[in-house]
Amino acid sequence: MVHLSSFLLTKYHGGHIVIRLALGGATNRPFYRIVAAYNKRARDSKYIEQLGSYDPLPNIHNEKLVAFNYERIKYWIACGAHTTKPVATLLGLAGFFPLHPMTITEAERRQKAALTEEVKRESQEQVEQKEAL
Amino acid sequence: MLRALSRCHAPVVRLLSPRTAVLVETVRGRKSRTDPKAKSKLGRIKTPSPVDPVEMVVLKERYTEYNLILRALRREFKEQMLRKKYEEEVGSVAEERAKREAEEHRSLMALNDAENLRICKIREQRMQKEAEAAELKKRETAIVRQQELENYIKEKERQILLLQEEAKDFITPDNLDQRIEEALDNPKNYNFAIDKEGRVVKRTAFQQ
Repeated sequence: MVHLSSFLLTKYHGGHIVIRLALGGATNRPFYRIVAAYNKRARDSKYIEQLGSYDPLPNIHNEKLVAFNYERIKYWIACGAHTTKPVATLLGLAGFFPLHPMTITEAERRQKAALTEEVKRESQEQVEQKEAL
Repeated sequence: MLRALSRCHAPVVRLLSPRTAVLVETVRGRKSRTDPKAKSKLGRIKTPSPVDPVEMVVLKERYTEYNLILRALRREFKEQMLRKKYEEEVGSVAEERAKREAEEHRSLMALNDAENLRICKIREQRMQKEAEAAELKKRETAIVRQQELENYIKEKERQILLLQEEAKDFITPDNLDQRIEEALDNPKNYNFAIDKEGRVVKRTAFQQ
């Protein structure tokens, strides 16, 4: 059968391009590709261009590897592509974007929680010492 | 009864909402509108997650700044891309490309001309050689023809002389009587005998 539609079957109305993570890999082993695709497309289906990858599981040296093709990302953002939150956070951590507010907020929350935990532990230790005496 | 799980949920974003019981908008999951509520969930009042107002203010500030920077970045990238495109099509890049192509064209034309010249020279030499050969051949054929003509004339002259010689012995009306007389007077005998060894005997018995 001869396919008469265009290369990406683009007959969308009011769609836009997004830079997002497309999930791949195997069971209990995820792997994301950073991809420029149309908004209406399924998450893992045909994309316009692959702009990088992200491996969420840390490797032997305890690193999570991320790859970016900055030139093409610049191009797609210039053409008006949106980015999803995880992609924005990753780019912020890489230094290409400013740091995402939620990254900072979550880091602060974790620090506060660690502080309160420490204070609680110290107070508990003090109480135990007092009881021992 | 129970619809299949649909993927998209109605998004609910509530910032700075009060702590009191406020029902969130219903999100349709597994069940349709007419399905009864589960027994364990009859008295449930869903409250939104607690929000720290101080943190929220700080967060809003950070978000406005972040969005500002992102918008600026987008504009920047767009401008860069437009500039590059412009350069590519109209500006310096296009000029350089045109110059390079002109250079290439000129060099190629020069090469072509040189090649043509060379081949022209070779062709001229060849034509010259061929002309000379043809000339030579023509001359030779002329000579040969001349020779043949001369030979022919000579041959014909020889034949004429021969004929003239023979004509002296011809029988003409003047000689007729004389020759008859001679012939009658000298009978010639052409008979001869030959045996297997090749011995020829001319003299035979005389016959009248």
